[in-house]
Amino acid sequence: MRYRLGYWIGLILLLLFSFVVLAPFAWVVATSLRTPAESFSVPPQWIPIHPDFSNYQQVFERIPFWKQIFNSFVVSGSIVLGQLTTAALAGYAFAHLNFPGKNVLFWLIMATMMIPIQATIIPVYILMSRYLDLADTLQSLIFPALPTAFGTFLLRQYFLTIPRDYEEAAMIDGANPFQVFYRIYLPLVSGGLAVLAVLSFNGHWNEFFRPLIFLVSKEKFTIPLGLFDLQGYMMTGSISVVLAGIVLSMIPVLLVYLVGQRYLIEGIMMGGLKG
Amino acid sequence: MAHMQNASQISKQPGTGGGPLAWLTANTLTGMRRRKAAMGYLFLLPTVLGILIFTAGPVLVSFGLSFFQWNVFTAPQLVGAENYQRLITDKQVLTSFLNTFRFVAMAVTTQIVLALILALAVTQKMGRFFRYYFRSAFFLPLLMSSAAVSISLGYMFHREFGVVNYYLTLIGLPRVPWLNSSTWALITVMIAYVWHQLGFTFILFIGGLTNISPEILDAADVDGATGLRRIWHIILPMLSPTLLFAIVVSVIGALQVFEQPYIMTRGGPGDASRTAVMVMYEAAFKNLEFGYGSAITVILFIVIMLVTMAQFWLSRRWVFYQ
Amino acid sequence: MAGLTSLGMTLVACSTPAAPQAPAAEQGSESAAPAAEKILLRVQGNATNEQPLADLFMERNGQVEIEYINVTGIDHEEVASKILSMVAAGQTLDIGFAATEATQLYAGQGLAEPLDEYVKRDEAELAEYFADVHPSLIEAMMWEGSLYELSRDFNAANMYYNTELFAEAGYDHPASDWTVEDFLEIARAITKKNASGETEVFGYAWTNRLWGSWMPWIFVNESNLLTEERAPGGEWLWQTFYKDDPAAEGRGGGFRWLAPKANDPANVEALELMQELTREGTAPAIELGGGQTLQGFFTSGKLGMTPAGGFWAGGLHNAGMPKGAFDVQLFPKWKSQRHQFGTGGKFMFTGSEHKDIAWEFQKLEVSKEGMAVNGIFNPVILTTPSRRSMVNAEAFAETGPEHWEVFYSTLDDHPDTAPIPAPPISNAMTNIFTKYTGLAMTFELTAQQALDQMQAELEELYARQGQNMYKLEG
Repeated sequence: MRYRLGYWIGLILLLLFSFVVLAPFAWVVATSLRTPAESFSVPPQWIPIHPDFSNYQQVFERIPFWKQIFNSFVVSGSIVLGQLTTAALAGYAFAHLNFPGKNVLFWLIMATMMIPIQATIIPVYILMSRYLDLADTLQSLIFPALPTAFGTFLLRQYFLTIPRDYEEAAMIDGANPFQVFYRIYLPLVSGGLAVLAVLSFNGHWNEFFRPLIFLVSKEKFTIPLGLFDLQGYMMTGSISVVLAGIVLSMIPVLLVYLVGQRYLIEGIMMGGLKG
Repeated sequence: MAHMQNASQISKQPGTGGGPLAWLTANTLTGMRRRKAAMGYLFLLPTVLGILIFTAGPVLVSFGLSFFQWNVFTAPQLVGAENYQRLITDKQVLTSFLNTFRFVAMAVTTQIVLALILALAVTQKMGRFFRYYFRSAFFLPLLMSSAAVSISLGYMFHREFGVVNYYLTLIGLPRVPWLNSSTWALITVMIAYVWHQLGFTFILFIGGLTNISPEILDAADVDGATGLRRIWHIILPMLSPTLLFAIVVSVIGALQVFEQPYIMTRGGPGDASRTAVMVMYEAAFKNLEFGYGSAITVILFIVIMLVTMAQFWLSRRWVFYQ
Repeated sequence: MAGLTSLGMTLVACSTPAAPQAPAAEQGSESAAPAAEKILLRVQGNATNEQPLADLFMERNGQVEIEYINVTGIDHEEVASKILSMVAAGQTLDIGFAATEATQLYAGQGLAEPLDEYVKRDEAELAEYFADVHPSLIEAMMWEGSLYELSRDFNAANMYYNTELFAEAGYDHPASDWTVEDFLEIARAITKKNASGETEVFGYAWTNRLWGSWMPWIFVNESNLLTEERAPGGEWLWQTFYKDDPAAEGRGGGFRWLAPKANDPANVEALELMQELTREGTAPAIELGGGQTLQGFFTSGKLGMTPAGGFWAGGLHNAGMPKGAFDVQLFPKWKSQRHQFGTGGKFMFTGSEHKDIAWEFQKLEVSKEGMAVNGIFNPVILTTPSRRSMVNAEAFAETGPEHWEVFYSTLDDHPDTAPIPAPPISNAMTNIFTKYTGLAMTFELTAQQALDQMQAELEELYARQGQNMYKLEG
């Protein structure tokens, strides 16, 4: 009985906290459905009684929304595929292969995770536009993001949770080292792969700083830049339109998450020892 | 697979008694070990190459730049350690670094503790609907970009017209100057940051918790370990690798905080919420002192490095691998 | 490192100005290229608004392809920084956009090409343009005797007000020579507080940036943040185009903003007035940046007055504020009624390989025809046109304000009206200005302390970077 009571108290507290976390979304959606002139009227209306969709219409009028969504998908999707490949290989090497200089290399790669993007942006930009002739292209965003110290570290942690007995068993069955990696270990870390994929997709979907500097023509913009554009000439755009843009830009990520969440959670469940 | 054949060919090369490939044929390594070593290098090639080109190389260029004075339009002038000398006496830089440390302490503690409590609560026995709902709810903020988060929460925390203060005044409290006082600005930025990032840590912990094998938990039940004791003695040690990872990544992320203070407070009032990356960005991209900006970056990089190494070194005492 | 040095060299090499060639004939040398070889002109601008102008130009110059480069940023200085990074990385740009905030920055860095020779060459064609534009706006586009941009749009900080709130408090349209006392009386009358003493409707509000901000109060108090003087030169322009215009008398070769004087008693007085308004609840805590939030308060009837220019008319209209719900008057008189303004236009990059075509584009942009098709003036006004003839009843017919004449009469009635102080190091200067303004407005420092510290930091900045900004004697 006492246990039941504690359970309910916990559940109610969780529910309350989840409302706090979700409140900003409700506010953003509600405000995006108000006329700009009412955007700051108090008291806040959480439920828009007379929804006004003109802000959404303005978003489509002001920026090539679908094109920019497409660009974001191309950039984020390519980066995810690339990162899964490079990080799975490197993570496995650090977790289960032995070679001279392993620790030094690992620490060097980890050290690069601490480099703020602002520190590399100018040289990388010069490299992209001067030497690779990739100024104002989606590739200029994709290539530098393919190697991932973070992903390497993440997958190494996942590979480390898998005991070495698997490898020895597979070796006895006559598998070569690559088959051990590809057929046995990789499926076991699908949880980690899913986590990396979702995080990476999401992070690059929302990326702001690099696109701001690398992309210049509207047709190449990714969606966060497009949102910035909504503020209009001399910043006279209204906040309701900007918020409408924010809501719209979240929809594709939401869909990816809803599809990906199953894999994410399943992957996490499958990971570790229950493979 | 072609790579693999190459690798085995390499490993069959007769030793030359020296040179870069000597390790491959050294007698201490068996053939299988050698193959695995070669495979290790091959597996690392894309990552290492990419990092050399896109991260390490550019950082070295930045490091070199920190000894120059360069405003983009005239040839860089070698000024030696001048930038570093100026940096030591620059009050704004010092304040910004101190702010960053305060921010990291507040943000990481809040994020880890909250995410841990939530993850523990959500992984206890509850209905499928609730479990799914909570997971989604806490992950949802991550789907927004930091720019969008900062813009939206900036409006909500507005002193006069924000929703937050509206409800505070409803219950008879005075309006809090969330973004307009040195006392509150950094805290508000921290709230926005944690609200945005919480889901990441939360999902990591969920993953870590579900990976704890039921046998161990059952054994704990048999031993009569329940409640807090069970969490402290069984669950946390089993979760420690994930915990370490979460802390390291959060610290690195928080040390580089930029968008939230930049959009919400512009670093103000005064320098109250200015962060290390912000002063670097302002020096380089606003005042066009690329040399000075690079020097700040170098210092920030060293700080991040030391903090992270310290964490790993300390982790030996509390992280437990199966 | 060698790469960087050579990069620097390249940039320096790029910035040696080239004399303009003889005017290209209708079918000039540029069009001798095969039709397939289009000349690409990269222009900084926002295609959403400005595409019709590019279309018009391409229609007339079949050999040219115009690509708009849309650089966005939180404020003018941010946009300028992005452009500089692009140039540093070797991007070729032909035409840039600069408002006063960055005009001298580009000119002083040798990034913008002086237009003097082009203007002299096409004197006959341009006479009509200059006759239509107030000399203050032209002077603001000059640096050390040369002209760098043809002013396209401008905004002086006038006083916008909510007519409904004025009417409620029993006030009508203020007189054009209203005083700071009149202003304070109205602002306090409009302010509404709730039972617990918290303000719900504010009399006045402003944002913490360079333009607008509390700068208008510094100006009407006959002061400035930096010591102003006029560079010599510029006679070639004034003598040619403004011979008979008394408003052009005493103009020189552009402003020089020299020794900082942030803690001048007049500035302290102005900042103390701002503090007083906030302390008593007539004004809210200051806003950041571009003023979108203020627009929200203004349209929701929570704000009585705020400094803004013609750029607000279209914004308020788009936000759903009906014509007549707001109006505008000159900034109130204190010691004087000298306004501050900012003006924007296109400049030519010294590194451009198509300067003659770029010049043709610049001329089209400020021509009557070019401005008529530009989306920043049509269908609604998003900024004040620099051409007097375009600031007319028709332009503001749909949006308001009723007293749209105020926008241009600011210049006509107060010819001493001047640009915001923006020397070549304006970015760093703006950072210092907004930082200490913020500290004073949160009452962490008194006005005197804030301005003393601002002064010290500005002096330090000038000592470090302030040489070579102007071609000073000795």
